[in-house]
Amino acid sequence: MDVLNVDYMLGLVPVLLRYLPLTLQLATIGMVLALILACLFAVVRVLAIPVLNQLTIVFISFFRGTPLLVQLFLFYYGLPQLVSALTVIDGITATIMGLTMHFSAYMAESIRAAIVGVDRSQTEAALSIGMTNGQLMRRIVLPQATRVALPTLMNYFIDMIKATSLAFTLGVTELMGATQKEASGSFLYFEAFIVAAIMYWIVVELLSKLQHYLEIRLNKAYSR
Amino acid sequence: MKTLLTTMLMIISLSASTALLAQDNPLRVGMSGQYFPFTFVEQDELKGFDVDIMNALGKEMGRDIKYETANFSGLFGMLESGRIDTVANQITITEERQKAYIFSDPYVYDGAQVVVKKGNTEIQGVEDLKGKTVAVNLGSNFEELLRELPYADEINIKTYDSNLERDTALGRVDAFVMDRVSASQIIKEKPLPLALAGPTFSQITNAYPFRDTESGRALRDEVNQALATLRENGTLTSISEKWFGTDITQP
Repeated sequence: MDVLNVDYMLGLVPVLLRYLPLTLQLATIGMVLALILACLFAVVRVLAIPVLNQLTIVFISFFRGTPLLVQLFLFYYGLPQLVSALTVIDGITATIMGLTMHFSAYMAESIRAAIVGVDRSQTEAALSIGMTNGQLMRRIVLPQATRVALPTLMNYFIDMIKATSLAFTLGVTELMGATQKEASGSFLYFEAFIVAAIMYWIVVELLSKLQHYLEIRLNKAYSR
Repeated sequence: MKTLLTTMLMIISLSASTALLAQDNPLRVGMSGQYFPFTFVEQDELKGFDVDIMNALGKEMGRDIKYETANFSGLFGMLESGRIDTVANQITITEERQKAYIFSDPYVYDGAQVVVKKGNTEIQGVEDLKGKTVAVNLGSNFEELLRELPYADEINIKTYDSNLERDTALGRVDAFVMDRVSASQIIKEKPLPLALAGPTFSQITNAYPFRDTESGRALRDEVNQALATLRENGTLTSISEKWFGTDITQP
């Protein structure tokens, strides 16, 4: 085994850093959209709104039951075959669509669990003093559910950041795509991929710090 | 209702006009960026034989070339769905591909080559692949070439999206099959313990695929004309000499 080519690795850092923003952008937009979607799904499921509830169950079942890569291929390559105008879906859009739907399916379930986990007596108390369903959700249930759901949602965000590495299959050169291309130009695979791995790792570490901070804040009301 | 109609009409006319504009310029070319020395990246710069040829073609046709890089397995999907106009990635003309696409004139003539880990004397050519594990690139025509061999069912074919050279050097597979030109180039330039095993075993011709539509055919004709000019004035030969020290653009 040759010695590590450290110079090559150092030279690669600024090059790969250029692609990190796109990776983060894909994951952040995907996360925000997935959160919105997941909250809607969770509420539909908890309130068991007819028709919508059934549709949501099918949606969650499909997007949890199939690999993300299959979904990305469906959006990017499959849809334009059925409707040629859908070629307007570019790689970035398809990736965000895929991430959003895939992860919203998972997140809907953990948000639902967090909502259901709020003690029933609180719901009854809120309703007994005349709160509407909306007020009940906004003022009583969701703030408490957020605290419970936060760690798992953070988990999904971290997972999503790493899932963006599939985007190169759709022609989106993000961190992983850039690394693959550099590696096949130099054949220094270990050097290239360890640089990419460390970059992902640092990002996730920073997020874990953020999670820790958020948890302390959300737990304030419970500490004595 | 009326506003809805006008908006729809506007959108349709807008998209139609952008489609027309796109016909003038640029030629959208897909490549993997992972096929040394044809298309690869060094310090964020896309380089290689296929990049040079495409740039020369673009200059000749008076069109900008817009490169789209994606994993090889995604390139034909991008072509099929109209996101790129052609693929410049040493695409070999095969019967199967000809059913789906139309091809330009060939611009590379080559042969399939067995490559093994240095020191492997057991495999001396394609006949020795019986009972062995052989790597090929996913979606490449080398898999098909292997499957056409009379003893194909005795070969364990493994398909890779990339990095098969590495796995052969590591001994995870017994050999890989690739075109002779890039195989020799990899052995010459890269720090991997690999060796050619025997002579080439099949003639291959590489060209640019296009969609079999009116605009695809028009593009193909345009590319063919430019290719002929570049062939005559020696540009193809000099680009080939630059990368390989030999002319792979002549039959």
